[in-house]
Amino acid sequence: MKTIVIGGGEVGVNVARTLSADGHDVTVVEIDPVRCATLQGEIDALVIEGSGGSPRVLEQVDAGSADLLAAVTRNDEANLIAALSARQLGTQITVARVRDPDFFGPDESFARDVLGIDFVIDPDRATASDIADAISLPGAVTVEYFGDGRLAVAEIIVTEASPLLGVELAERERPHPAYIVGLARDGEESLIRPEVVPQVGDHLLVAIPTDHARAAVAHLAGGTREVRGCVIFGGGKIGLRLARILQATRMKVTLLEREATRARYLAEQLPRVTVLHDEGVSREAQEAAHVDEADAFVACAGDDRANLLAALNAKRLGADLCMSIVSREEFTPLIDALAIDASFSPRLITAEAILRFVHTQSVRAIHLLRSGFEVIELEAEEGAQIVGKGIGETQGMLSGCRVGAILRGDDAMIPQKGLEIRPGDRVLMLGVEGALSGVEPFFARSRRRE
Amino acid sequence: MSARWLRVGPDAALVLLTIGGTFAACTIGLAVCAAVGELEGRASDAFAFTALGTLVLSALCLQLARAARRGLAVGPLAGLAAVTLAWIAASAVGGVALLAAGTFTSPLDAFFEATSGFTTTGATLLSEIEAQPDAVLLWRSIMQWLGGVGIVVVVVAIAPVTGPAVQRAFYAETTGITTERLTPRIVDTAKIIAAIYLVLSLAAVVAYALVGLGGFDAVNHAMTSVATGGFSTRDDSMAAFDSLPVELVAIFFMIAGGINFAFYWRAVRRKPVMPQAAEVLAFLAILVAAIAAVTLSVELAGEATLREAAFNVTSIVTSTGYTSADYDGWNQFARVGFLVLFTSGACAASTAGGIKVIRSVLLAKAARQELERPLQPRAVRVLRFGRHAYSEDVRRAVLGFFLVYAMIYVVGSLAMAATGVDPVTAISAASSALNIIGPGLGEIGPETTWEALPGFGRGLAIALMITGRLEVFTVVVLLVAIFGRRP
Repeated sequence: MKTIVIGGGEVGVNVARTLSADGHDVTVVEIDPVRCATLQGEIDALVIEGSGGSPRVLEQVDAGSADLLAAVTRNDEANLIAALSARQLGTQITVARVRDPDFFGPDESFARDVLGIDFVIDPDRATASDIADAISLPGAVTVEYFGDGRLAVAEIIVTEASPLLGVELAERERPHPAYIVGLARDGEESLIRPEVVPQVGDHLLVAIPTDHARAAVAHLAGGTREVRGCVIFGGGKIGLRLARILQATRMKVTLLEREATRARYLAEQLPRVTVLHDEGVSREAQEAAHVDEADAFVACAGDDRANLLAALNAKRLGADLCMSIVSREEFTPLIDALAIDASFSPRLITAEAILRFVHTQSVRAIHLLRSGFEVIELEAEEGAQIVGKGIGETQGMLSGCRVGAILRGDDAMIPQKGLEIRPGDRVLMLGVEGALSGVEPFFARSRRRE
Repeated sequence: MSARWLRVGPDAALVLLTIGGTFAACTIGLAVCAAVGELEGRASDAFAFTALGTLVLSALCLQLARAARRGLAVGPLAGLAAVTLAWIAASAVGGVALLAAGTFTSPLDAFFEATSGFTTTGATLLSEIEAQPDAVLLWRSIMQWLGGVGIVVVVVAIAPVTGPAVQRAFYAETTGITTERLTPRIVDTAKIIAAIYLVLSLAAVVAYALVGLGGFDAVNHAMTSVATGGFSTRDDSMAAFDSLPVELVAIFFMIAGGINFAFYWRAVRRKPVMPQAAEVLAFLAILVAAIAAVTLSVELAGEATLREAAFNVTSIVTSTGYTSADYDGWNQFARVGFLVLFTSGACAASTAGGIKVIRSVLLAKAARQELERPLQPRAVRVLRFGRHAYSEDVRRAVLGFFLVYAMIYVVGSLAMAATGVDPVTAISAASSALNIIGPGLGEIGPETTWEALPGFGRGLAIALMITGRLEVFTVVVLLVAIFGRRP
């Protein structure tokens, strides 16, 4: 697939690197000559210096024959112009990163139907909604929903209070339906084996029917409870959106903003949120905001250092769940060392969202999970090889992936003894990256029998 | 008056224009009264001559205004001065007509009655109302009808006066916390308000006629109901008809007159009706609660029924002033309740007086926020009502209004008491005038007139009525600017 990435910042590099590793032809357009030189050594892609909105540059990279153009510079207008021009020139799929919500409002139908941009990604909104998901399911770092929302696939971190510690997974108690599919330990993802004994800090990938998600995650992660009070540090675009999402729930939300005019604006926008005009980093300010009584603390100011400091202070004060926005990659390795429960990088989230969109467009609906696993939802056709097989049997047939759940009618079912795949079932397959490419034929009608 | 504050050219032009327009509007009303007087054969000359006088004065003012320099921006006080002077001029004209018709012999009394008319207070010095000529009764109603919607609104709606200067006068007269334009041009806004008012008034005439009032009574009461004025053609006010349907019609149109006119406009045009709709709901909620409380107290005491309570409470809350019972003779809870309800008022930008519902609600919310402040000093608190967030300027304006209002209330009550009347009479007279209600308690109660008040008290009431109708600030700012130290 021929791909053009406009903008060689962190988002652009991540998109370009992944697509290039998947075997696509990638051309990166970057306006800054110094950055161009750096990029040349970093990624296996053609780097061209210039502006993505320029007809000359678009011609030079042959946008007319490109399959995909992703405009991801930090400038909304530049991205829109590049995407619009590319669409006119004949690019198949266009993606634009647009931060200002005024361009499109709450839904993207204007972008799709009027402008012809296939996918608009707003990093702030995507980040805020990811954080809100993590808060709504405490114990889970990330959660994504499948099968019209009936099934949750959550990534949880094993804590000291988890009942899984020191017990082989096969022997664990099962008060709630939940299927542990994968494990990430020290950055290595693998499928679960029954004899594995979880340790503190392990990330587990779990498939759970949505109705049981909260209870199951709380049980597995250990000692988590529903977030009733949340303190948000920083009332920038992400903070505002997050507060707006959370105020629609019953949660008590407190928002700390240090700039007076902005604080006033936030208070006007958020009738059900307590907005405090305070610096928010220091112990005094956090005590005034009752951070010690909060179930969750989210640092989402514009400055990574302030975010980390604030989150650390909040953790020391006793906030249960501490999360932070960390925009710059340099800080990411620090997070695990700092006892912060989860970190979110808007740029990585953006890159991932774009890659996931590209995957659904081109690679047979394989869905990348943030945890590094992949998901595909397939329908078992009548007479397919997989039909009639029990869950145990499928593990022998398929290497590197597992049946995560079965959606039959209105039910979401977790793999267990005696469960067989029937024709018409929608099966959620989970696997480590790259393992799902060969799974599709098992679900299709067998040609030999016809 | 310093030239620095009231620039002679355009400022004087605005004042002359407004007063000229006011005289013109009065001329029309007086001419109608002269015609009615001609039919009855009483007092027609008095009104005809007064009309002639106002016509000449109007032409004079408008001619002078035209001669003055135009097109320059007016000073900040010109609008306030224009409106205040227009209301005084209108009241003076009204008084002259009543003097000419022989209704009063004292100029002060005539001025009092006319001011009470234009400000839609409804306080009267006449004890033999039914003996008055039809022309006089109609003139009292017309004064209230013109004053109800606002003299400047009428002037702008009917006279060809335009320009940025007129806006100042327009806004200085409009009641409420924020001035809202319904249309890009102020003239169109005035026409819309006048049209809404006219429709309500005509509907009231039809409704009163349908429930059995004669043509003359129907027209007069329609005008004074919609204007939430309170003048009646009968000595016993609404009690004279002793008819439940009539009282229900009156209740309906008093409430209709107490609703924000911007709400009607938005509802008809299918525009978002917030926050006006929230104010209307709060207004109705206050009304229902007040009726319930008073009904309970009078039923328990066996003094009156729901019917009397509902009518008189509605009349007071909407600052109308009709009466159907002697509520001054009810239990002490009900009496003090009425005194409290004097201050409430209906919606902003309606024909009613008082603090207004929107201000009362915002005041209560502001008070609550101040009480919460020590618990969380860093919290940013926004004053909201009906999904609308108000700026800190509005908070200051509302608190400032209440402060000045309360001071005038207290000083007015004290000054009233200095005339020698009893405390209940003194406080209720000051409050009734300031909140443009009409009747008071004690010696000026619902069954009687304001004759018990001595001359000084009547003069004070005139000042309070105009101050109250123009929502305190217009008059007080003007006085401070004229007599206070220059900033």
